[in-house]
Amino acid sequence: MKSWEIGKRNLKEIYRNPVLLGFLLGMPVAFMLVFCSAMGGAQANPISLSIVDEDRSQTSSAFISCLGSIEAIELNEPIYSEKSQAQEDLEDGRISFYLFIPSGFEEARQAQQTVNLELTYKAADPMIGLQVKPIIEAVGSEFLGVAPPLIVELKGTESKIKNEVVNFFAPGIAVYGLMILVSTAAEIIADDREKGFLARMFTTPARPWDFILGYSLPFIPVLIISTLIYLGVGMALGLTIVGNLGHAILIFFLIGLCSIGTGMIVGSLVKSGSQAGVSWLFIVPMAMISGAWFSVEGMPSAMKSIAGALPFIHAIDASRAVINGSPFSAIIFDLYWLVGWAVVLFAVGIVLFRRTMVS
Amino acid sequence: MNAVQTFKLVKEFDGLVAVNGIDLEIKQGELFSLLGPNGAGKTTAIRMLCCLLKPTKGTASILGYDIAKEPFKVKELIGVSPQETVLSERLNCWENLALIGKVHGLSSKEVKGRSKELLETMGLTERSQDQVRKFSGGMKRRLSIAMALVSDPQVLFLDEPTLGLDPQARRAVWEYIAELKGKKTILLTTHYMEEADFLSDRIGIIDEGRVVALGTSQELKTNRLEMRSMVVSTRNITAEVIADLQSKYSRVEEVNGELKISHKDLDFKEIVDYLHSRGVTVYSAALEQPTLEDVFIQITGKKLRD
Repeated sequence: MKSWEIGKRNLKEIYRNPVLLGFLLGMPVAFMLVFCSAMGGAQANPISLSIVDEDRSQTSSAFISCLGSIEAIELNEPIYSEKSQAQEDLEDGRISFYLFIPSGFEEARQAQQTVNLELTYKAADPMIGLQVKPIIEAVGSEFLGVAPPLIVELKGTESKIKNEVVNFFAPGIAVYGLMILVSTAAEIIADDREKGFLARMFTTPARPWDFILGYSLPFIPVLIISTLIYLGVGMALGLTIVGNLGHAILIFFLIGLCSIGTGMIVGSLVKSGSQAGVSWLFIVPMAMISGAWFSVEGMPSAMKSIAGALPFIHAIDASRAVINGSPFSAIIFDLYWLVGWAVVLFAVGIVLFRRTMVS
Repeated sequence: MNAVQTFKLVKEFDGLVAVNGIDLEIKQGELFSLLGPNGAGKTTAIRMLCCLLKPTKGTASILGYDIAKEPFKVKELIGVSPQETVLSERLNCWENLALIGKVHGLSSKEVKGRSKELLETMGLTERSQDQVRKFSGGMKRRLSIAMALVSDPQVLFLDEPTLGLDPQARRAVWEYIAELKGKKTILLTTHYMEEADFLSDRIGIIDEGRVVALGTSQELKTNRLEMRSMVVSTRNITAEVIADLQSKYSRVEEVNGELKISHKDLDFKEIVDYLHSRGVTVYSAALEQPTLEDVFIQITGKKLRD
């Protein structure tokens, strides 16, 4: 089969090119290692919390003990009695942030009045404040006896997920890795056109479909191997597959097809292999607004709408959902979306690729 | 039946005429060269004959098959070595040859046999297992020609087959092409006049998209050249003598006492006698052999490498 011969050649050009393979497989694996380690990874460390207890009451001591009992928090010793001391240590970099319990804390609790706590952190490092604030709010609400909205989360329901950080990042980065196929496919097609290899092949009796299959099929084994590597690395870092692994692989396969189709489009439109680098202008922003590296819950609705219209956010959401235990019925809409996009992108890719064959 | 036939073949790109009504008839087994400067339209003409470009006007056929109506029939009969040495860089020689051979429908056994023979002929057997990205320009060019031949095509298109090669590698490629003469119909494009002169049965001189002269090398030199040239090495020639010669002959150039005189019906003896009569010492005098470059200059008014 002519398409098989063309496909075999393209597969060899991919796996014999270490730079291309490095980008395709190495970068997502490196991302996975860095993100999972930086954000907690396999061994999540507790957050060190410094406290200024101006109230020095039994109630404030009990509240501090309560905070210290939380697994995610490690209390720094000693407990400050003066705010100025803590502020000095914060400014000198000895501590990252501190919680201030003002005088009147005990009275306010007894009178069931609003209690104001202050969490002070360096302006240059706002993430730490955002990370700790909800924990303290939840512990505080529970301690003060007010019905807290996050009490379920704090109690920690029995979850099969060993490491939530890895279960969050691994599927997103796997989809990001498969998005790199856009650049790989585009580069191979554009490079062969620029150097005249495609023109040479067009002088042979191979038919248009031989080329279309020959330039798309080799990416299927690449897609499968990439998916297995990403999942393998994820599992080594503590990824727990609670749901159906087959459903997750189906999602990865569909988003891989979308990426190959997009790559064919880009490769047919640009004039050279180096111009195919333009696909990164699409890959990185798409990965960001699709939530590959962080939650997009707080993203502006306009951005959410753009991401929602494209396939990548559906692949990330659906793969996270099935890996974390959601049933197939929960991802049907995402699957329809992915299948639709895969068909459209492939069809457009084929039309544009065919147009390059005869001038 | 002619192997290649074109009738008023035209190709325009956004109003720019690259090929302007070429008529060619190339017999089976003939080695025909299209000689012309860069941008003359040689590659565009070949790309149309290889079914890579659709003609704007006119028709062409390869062994009776119309290039526009039956491109896949045409592609089964041709082998192409393009101007750019395009190979699959991370494949070795065998794999490159197998790719082209199998796309042409050859079996693995046939491909292996043909490849072995071609690699030996091209002197590539020792490096046949190496990825071709490690090859020199000459080796790549030889492999490119082997790829064009692996399907045993009836018509071979060689677009600038020695472009960028050093003289030794160029000579080796010429020798191999010369071996193919008579066995295949070969259409070769070149802007090296020595190449066209050495290899071709017939030459078509192409300029600005038109074939401006056609014939064997000898025919072109004898029939198309109206002027003959002679070179005279002299001493003590004066400006007055040079001016006198310039008034009598079509072209007279003098550099450091060496005169080049071109004129229709040039009389060698008459010039030497005249110089003696004016007291000029003549060291040597010789008629110059005409070259295709002279023919090209005479027809187009410009040099081949302009």
